[in-house]
Amino acid sequence: MTASPSSASPASRRRFLAWSGASVATAALAAAGCSAPDDGASSAQAAPTGGASGDLTRIGLDYPFTQLPLYSTLVKLSTAAAKRHDISLLTTSDAGNADTQATNLHAWVAQKVPAIVSFPMVFEATGSIAKAALDAGLIWVTYGGSLEHQSADIRFSFVEGGTLLGEAAAKWAGERLGGKGKVAFLTDGTIQLGRERTKGMIDAFTKNAPGVDVVAEEQAIDPDTGLSKSRAILAKHPDLNIILGVTDAAAYGGFKALQQTGRAKDDAKTFVGGQDGSAPSLLAIKQGTFYRASAALAPKDIAAAIVDVPRAVAAGKANPSAQVPITLVQRADAARIDALLAQNA
Amino acid sequence: MTTATKGPAPSPAGPATTPLTSRRLPSPGALAGTGLTALRRRPLLAVLLLMVLVFQLTTGSFLDTGNLRGIATDAATLAVVAVPLALLVISGYLDLSVGSTLALGGLVAGWLAASQQQSPVVAVLGALAAGAAVGAVNGVLCCYLGLSAFIVTLGMLTAVRGLAQQLFPLPLSGFGSGFAWLGGSRIAGIDAPVLIAVLVLVTGALFLALTPAGRHVFAIGVNREAAHLSGIDVRRTPFTLFVATGVAAALAGAIKASVLDSVVAGTSGAGFELTVLTAVLLGGVALTGGSGSVFGVLLGVLFLGCLQNGLTLLNVPTFWQQMAQGTALVAGAALACFGPRQTR
Repeated sequence: MTASPSSASPASRRRFLAWSGASVATAALAAAGCSAPDDGASSAQAAPTGGASGDLTRIGLDYPFTQLPLYSTLVKLSTAAAKRHDISLLTTSDAGNADTQATNLHAWVAQKVPAIVSFPMVFEATGSIAKAALDAGLIWVTYGGSLEHQSADIRFSFVEGGTLLGEAAAKWAGERLGGKGKVAFLTDGTIQLGRERTKGMIDAFTKNAPGVDVVAEEQAIDPDTGLSKSRAILAKHPDLNIILGVTDAAAYGGFKALQQTGRAKDDAKTFVGGQDGSAPSLLAIKQGTFYRASAALAPKDIAAAIVDVPRAVAAGKANPSAQVPITLVQRADAARIDALLAQNA
Repeated sequence: MTTATKGPAPSPAGPATTPLTSRRLPSPGALAGTGLTALRRRPLLAVLLLMVLVFQLTTGSFLDTGNLRGIATDAATLAVVAVPLALLVISGYLDLSVGSTLALGGLVAGWLAASQQQSPVVAVLGALAAGAAVGAVNGVLCCYLGLSAFIVTLGMLTAVRGLAQQLFPLPLSGFGSGFAWLGGSRIAGIDAPVLIAVLVLVTGALFLALTPAGRHVFAIGVNREAAHLSGIDVRRTPFTLFVATGVAAALAGAIKASVLDSVVAGTSGAGFELTVLTAVLLGGVALTGGSGSVFGVLLGVLFLGCLQNGLTLLNVPTFWQQMAQGTALVAGAALACFGPRQTR
């Protein structure tokens, strides 16, 4: 008799499932053991913060873009900053999904995590969760913007980051191209952060370099898309001079596309710039290539704010919010590039 | 290229009453016709040619050598993965983990080339080994333990991405000029990724058309029970295809890492699994297995590449591009479904 090929034998599958179940359970227990706060504050009914920052034992950091390298850097630096104050840092795993973020935040509010620092993917949708957190006596710190109901916020001017880059590129075009040339923008219209960066970048550039032709505005936030979009743009405009990206990753794709069309790495008539201060872009700037600028945030400053702002709220300090500066990094800023690379290491 | 259409449903009396010989299986040498016959048999080819014509007339630069080179290079990594994935789908399985496997392959290759100072060959072999490992896990779970390929590979998509981010949380870059040959070198004026893609396409087509194992792929996809009763090893063949798909995804990751001289664990290859599956299905491969061809897959890959490139050349606003892409894909799928069927 021939055995059916459609499935494994029931016995072997049962054994497999049993072993798998046991393995998963063991792994889950081990993971729980590894991540359990050593201060014993893991109870879902832990009391919210008291009136002094010393009472704050846990901070929840909800940074939704877990796919970005900045996430790992922020978690590492924030955990270290929190540890210095005997605070445990909790994190969510939103994977860039607004629905998952809302679910995770609701769970934290239900568990009464004493202080929540959240970067809302959709600000309008997060307002009610922030209000629920405040109603439950928790601290709510909005990251990257402001909500109507909040304890404090950590602000960045994303528009300003784009503006710094746009102005620098326009200045360069005036000096090196006589105010003429062609520019392509790699933009993002899908999330608020991207829209603000895009607006700042395009408005500043077109205002300060009105003689430069805008030949393309293409959606691209990752290097693959930046590369393929830039290739297509270069096929139509091989004399393209400037590529400005809403992220360093996208701009880096444009940087590679220009090189693949035969542009020398240090071509004097080419300018590529992005935003974020990511390591490959910083290295390219440092090496004196035509990747000339990045509007960068210092991860260490952000990590400090993630811990200090909730502590300031807990301590009842007046005006506990923080503004994290964005600076433009160019080749002349060697010391700052090294410092940023060290923070990203 | 060789194609086969799916046969009738298995008889309720059991697999023994539906002999394999009654199925329309491919035979060596059965190649598509030329000219109008080819257009009639391949509606997607007609759509592709029409699209190219429209893009050339409206942009004036679509058929420029530089642009065609760009399209070919962009489409190369897609083709490298689409061919083995198509064979897997023809055999009745599916692999949704290729996006994460691509990222893992690129990261392993980049890490070996940059941090470990290994030669480009070792770096690529390391990537292929990582891809083979992912494919082997998929293959064992799906082919030997009989778990659902959809669920298993969806799980692996997430698990492998998590593993890649855990192992390489920060971007890798600066792989050196030695590693750059994989994505940047030219042989006889043709970019290396394109040559690799051509090699994969030809190998896939010959495998399907000329080897017994290629015919087994169709047989398993048409009727697994009947194939088994005919003496075909219905576990080993798809298992091998899972491994081949993993290896191909990792190779594509290494190529991308070489082209970009950087790789990011969280974003590299994100969404790639849907793009490659779209190309495969557009190319006429039946998701239910048993039908498809490598030539069709090539058309699907070129269709996606030309559409993306042409819309960018036309400077179509982002959200209109998305609408146009979606509409074109639905139209392409409808043509593939309702257009003239291939018969032999």
